[in-house]
Amino acid sequence: MITKAQKKSQIKVITGNAAAAIAAKLARPDVVAAYPITPQTEVIEQISQFHANGEMDCELITVEGENSAMNAVTAASLAGGRVFTATSSWGLVFMYDAILATAGARAPVVMVNVNRETPGIIAVSSGQQDMISTRDAGWIFLIAEDCQEVMDLVLQAYRLAEDYDIQVPVMVHYDGFYLSYLSEGVDVPFQEDVDKFLSVLKTQPERTKLVPGGRLGCGSHGILGGYLELRHKHVSAMERAKAKFQQIDKEYEGIFGRSYGGLVEEYRMDDADVVLVGSGSMCGTIKSVIDEKREKGVKAGLLKMRMYRPFPSEAMIKALKGKKAIGVVDRSLCFGFKGGPIYTELKAFETKLGGSKMISFIDGIANTDITKINVATMIDTTCDLAAGKNVREVTWVSYPEAQEEGGL
Amino acid sequence: MTEKKKDNLTKVMDYLKHEDPFSKGVAFCPGCGLELLLRFIPQVMGNDIVITGTPSCSAPVLLGQNNQSWHKLSYFGTLMTGAAANATGLARYYRKAGIKNTVVCFNGDGTAADIGFGNLSGAAERNEPFIYICYDNEGYMNTGIQKSGTTPFGATTTTTPFGSASKGKNLRRMNLALKMAMHKIPYAATATLSDLDDLAQKLLKAKEAKKRGFAFLHVFAPCTTGWGFAPENTIEVCRRAVKTNYFPLWEAVNGKIRMTKTVKKPKPVSTYTELIKKFAHLTEEDLQILQDDVDYEYCMLGGLSQLEGECRLPASLED
Repeated sequence: MITKAQKKSQIKVITGNAAAAIAAKLARPDVVAAYPITPQTEVIEQISQFHANGEMDCELITVEGENSAMNAVTAASLAGGRVFTATSSWGLVFMYDAILATAGARAPVVMVNVNRETPGIIAVSSGQQDMISTRDAGWIFLIAEDCQEVMDLVLQAYRLAEDYDIQVPVMVHYDGFYLSYLSEGVDVPFQEDVDKFLSVLKTQPERTKLVPGGRLGCGSHGILGGYLELRHKHVSAMERAKAKFQQIDKEYEGIFGRSYGGLVEEYRMDDADVVLVGSGSMCGTIKSVIDEKREKGVKAGLLKMRMYRPFPSEAMIKALKGKKAIGVVDRSLCFGFKGGPIYTELKAFETKLGGSKMISFIDGIANTDITKINVATMIDTTCDLAAGKNVREVTWVSYPEAQEEGGL
Repeated sequence: MTEKKKDNLTKVMDYLKHEDPFSKGVAFCPGCGLELLLRFIPQVMGNDIVITGTPSCSAPVLLGQNNQSWHKLSYFGTLMTGAAANATGLARYYRKAGIKNTVVCFNGDGTAADIGFGNLSGAAERNEPFIYICYDNEGYMNTGIQKSGTTPFGATTTTTPFGSASKGKNLRRMNLALKMAMHKIPYAATATLSDLDDLAQKLLKAKEAKKRGFAFLHVFAPCTTGWGFAPENTIEVCRRAVKTNYFPLWEAVNGKIRMTKTVKKPKPVSTYTELIKKFAHLTEEDLQILQDDVDYEYCMLGGLSQLEGECRLPASLED
């Protein structure tokens, strides 16, 4: 193992999946549950190899399905352990009952979910529909833009999930295929720095643990008043998670030299007139198109969501207030609504934006690339909206036929 | 006669070395076999266990649904789908942290044989270091008496009612205990409440076997409310289930199957079914189908118990 004393930093060219696996290793979990699913498989393969090499001192449970993966790590977490697992798509859906129980028990589980579509068995393609289908589970959701951020978010996730004032499970999302298999340079943190970053948790009061002979029960929520109390405490913890994550991001910068701005990342937002709101791997493309548009005098900016649950409404309102027009890019659908899910949710705060107009873009589902051309179209359309032109409320960017049908 | 009874009682009581952790009044039906089993386990195995359970007949007492009846055990209420996986997580973390533990995953047949069988099988395949106890009341009794995989042929339940086009359950029961023994785990056994010394020994053997991995106990626990028999007949129903070979008592140590109680002259299965309302509608012909099923299972068990050899793990792989 290379130590900090020998080298100032260690850049490795690795995939998003490898970044997640290495981050999990650096966090020194006690129990890891492993089950394969495309495009997540490489995560648990790498962890299995670390374990086989004796580099990772954890209990590795090679479960017979994702449902068991989540149940096993939840129980291990409630017993007092640090845990990790990874999934995607149908795997996430197969553990749906379990993730509700994990959140209900306030087990500080950390999991990565490699975003993939879910409409049928052949939907082996990128999209955030799996994330959207589980958004009300009571977990904290974080979304990574690139492989470096996958690494950083997994480590930050442990600080957030296990914080005594939070104790809510955290799911780190990153786009399948686009990030899972993309190799790029990642500054891999030194073990001693990660240990230092996570050691803060050891100074906090011990959380309640299920121990043999301890006369403690877990998993029963009670009824009536007891249930209400626990649910309200959960909702309150989700609210507290916003400020806590902001603080963790700052502390992370202090040790590792990287900050992303906390709940949201603002890119060229200060003087922007038109803004795209996005999340995940699309943000890299959006940033480069914004740079090009800026050269042509278009005052465009990006608001990247790093945290999706809890919904960072205050930070988003602050960043978006007074902008002329906002285009929200969703990589998933919100059935029963015309616009995408993030658009639909942001709409709830429209009256607080000081008159900003909003439209919805749906793109990048089922592995359709969110190309630079597509992003340019979105910025142009949002500029049209800002100029008072009549534009569609919802645009399926890669599927023009949707606009022809006239249904939306 | 009186003397002999006293001897038997003393024999069972000898195994009860620990406190009964349950309060005196609990929310079970009068005559419930499950209550006896639940009180028995910690008295034999110790109170320092972690017991996991699911929504089921045991939940009102075990998992805090009813705060009028309570106990002193560490417990974990899990979903039926993931019962064995949760027990796995607990046992693995305790092993990693060096915490001495006995995790007892205590579930009904709905969880064990039906919805949670996948992860029960997975835990057995991985030889996870905990004890799984299935209390088998042959259906979803707490939900209101529905058919499960262990419901026997001919039994009426609310989802297999008797009618002009139905004999009750028109299918045969699965043999969960044999299925589990086929996983080549360190210990698998059947037990019931009419043979408490046998049950006590098996609980202690399971606790010992847990050091080598997975232990499975299948306990026949009749349901007075769901099956329709008099509350005072619970033990008699168990006794007759054994004497008719409807529920034979055996164990498999490292895969080696051995009868722990041999019935010299098994009674016809009708001497068991006659006590129970859920079989009351069956004709002699129907009863013969059930008898054939019982005979077949016993024959299979008999054959397996003749096999030589065992499947013990190399000592280096034991926990």
